[in-house]
Amino acid sequence: MLDLAELVQSAIAPDLDATMAMARSDDIRKLALAAGVDVVGIAPVDRWEEFVPPGSRPYDILPGAKTVVVVGVRGPSAGAWQSPDHRLIEMNGYDFANDRVIHLVADHIEREYGYQAIQAPGLPVGGHQPAFSMMLAAVLAGLGTRSFAANIILNPKYGLLYYSACITTLELPVDAMLEQDVCPAPMCVQVYKAGGRTPCQAACPSDEGGCLHGTIGADNRIESTYYDRERCVSRAMNFGINSFQKGLEQIANEDDSERRRMMIHSDFFTRSASAIAFYKESVAQCFECMRVCPIGRAERKLK
Amino acid sequence: MSPADLDQMQTYRRELDDVARKSGALVTGVADAEAFTAAMEGQRPTELLPGCKTVFVLGGAQPRAGDWKSPSYRHMETTSTSDRLTAMGNRIAQHIERRCGYYAVTVPPGVDRARRPFLNIALAAELAGCGSPSLAGPVLHPEHGFMYYTAVLTTLPLAADGPLKQPACPAPECVSMWNEAGTTPCMATCPIDEGGCLGGKLEDGRIKERRYDVARCTTRVHTSFIPGFQKALEAVFDEPAKEKRKMILYSSQFTRTLWSMSYSNVSQGQCFECMRVCPVGSKQRDLR
Repeated sequence: MLDLAELVQSAIAPDLDATMAMARSDDIRKLALAAGVDVVGIAPVDRWEEFVPPGSRPYDILPGAKTVVVVGVRGPSAGAWQSPDHRLIEMNGYDFANDRVIHLVADHIEREYGYQAIQAPGLPVGGHQPAFSMMLAAVLAGLGTRSFAANIILNPKYGLLYYSACITTLELPVDAMLEQDVCPAPMCVQVYKAGGRTPCQAACPSDEGGCLHGTIGADNRIESTYYDRERCVSRAMNFGINSFQKGLEQIANEDDSERRRMMIHSDFFTRSASAIAFYKESVAQCFECMRVCPIGRAERKLK
Repeated sequence: MSPADLDQMQTYRRELDDVARKSGALVTGVADAEAFTAAMEGQRPTELLPGCKTVFVLGGAQPRAGDWKSPSYRHMETTSTSDRLTAMGNRIAQHIERRCGYYAVTVPPGVDRARRPFLNIALAAELAGCGSPSLAGPVLHPEHGFMYYTAVLTTLPLAADGPLKQPACPAPECVSMWNEAGTTPCMATCPIDEGGCLGGKLEDGRIKERRYDVARCTTRVHTSFIPGFQKALEAVFDEPAKEKRKMILYSSQFTRTLWSMSYSNVSQGQCFECMRVCPVGSKQRDLR
């Protein structure tokens, strides 16, 4: 025979659990937004099963993982986009605010709720592929969709954002993925129909030495995309690890001591070393496809 | 500007000061963007941000009183860094754009071509009244002395503070020393005519002439970090003996150099001696 109290408890427990989960979700969102991120999304781990092979899913990184909290921040300030000195946008492109905030989120989940939480690994640990794609995480958490411009995930309100993710065993209410593609924007569809290229493709056309190409279908959605990653790297990463490696190779291959000295102390090598030391100093040096992108432009229009 | 607009700008200024203080800044100041007449071409605020009206300067993140007390000089090498100020600058830029609706951009801390800064931040600090140039080089705040600065360019038309009326350097103690000994504490600790970096003259209690050997100073201040790395790399490639090359690469000097680069705030500057003897701000270092 069932105890009346147990009966009442079993009837209201699911509601209580849902209420508590919702309150925790709100709490996490508020914490992240107050800490400086622009968007927060939550995805269930099973969404990864369709897109990544076994071994690379959230629960392969954190056993028992239930959800992934993803945060996104704007990179360059609107003022940096206005500057005629392109180096200013390079140097202000990224300050790791998303990484800092995701640590706060993970700490909060572990300390306040007693569930495991880790920062998802964003950098490659073998080969050049990251262990966990922040781009995919952003899409699966409903924060954006892929674009023609180097497959960058565009948020409908802000456009280009930088993302970090927290994998946790805490079960939280999840966000729906975006139903409407962010890219191509209606304006880009018009430009494409008139000239055969979207603004980003026109800024960096792959058939003219650039990096981007793609087609829009009759349904006004992306039909095909082409992105020349190697070309893009050679332009977007003139200073940083890549240029440091390139410079070092040239230095090592130079037999003449005087010339070697010149190369070691050159502006180019100094700035490459500097970009490594102040990693945030210059992570990427080309924003041209994003400069012409209409998504998020309204957010960059100030006084 | 209407009285209502002026009120609004004063409110924004109070908010920015509040955000800066809460973020850890010790001082703030506003410079008129048009006042940078002494800046090199291409390094003026309006050339970096079209329509720039003012430059908001933040100062702080200087070595703590305890850092100065440490008998291990290597301690301060590894704790003193301007990185924190840049993060504060970004926060201010974000506030200006998102709360006030005006363009803002933080001046990057690094150097551009020919190792020149994007904008002379020391000049910005001076024009914003955060301090004045010193015989030793750094811009000194009258109360706090040496500190790091960052600058945010903005189209926000705040009222400018302007430069200090009374320079922080030379301090009265230094004028007395000059009158008696013909030198100041900073010049005495690193005299340019005896292999050091600093020289100069005082006249009527003010700086009359200043000499600073930047090349010498660099070899002392940056014994590790990027210049140290480049020097060691040159030695590695010039060394024909494989075993000696290995020794150089695994030496503590080269290891420290790599640490200072990868954890860039580990060791950016390795000499604080001219600032150690500077009386400006020394009261702030006098704690229990």
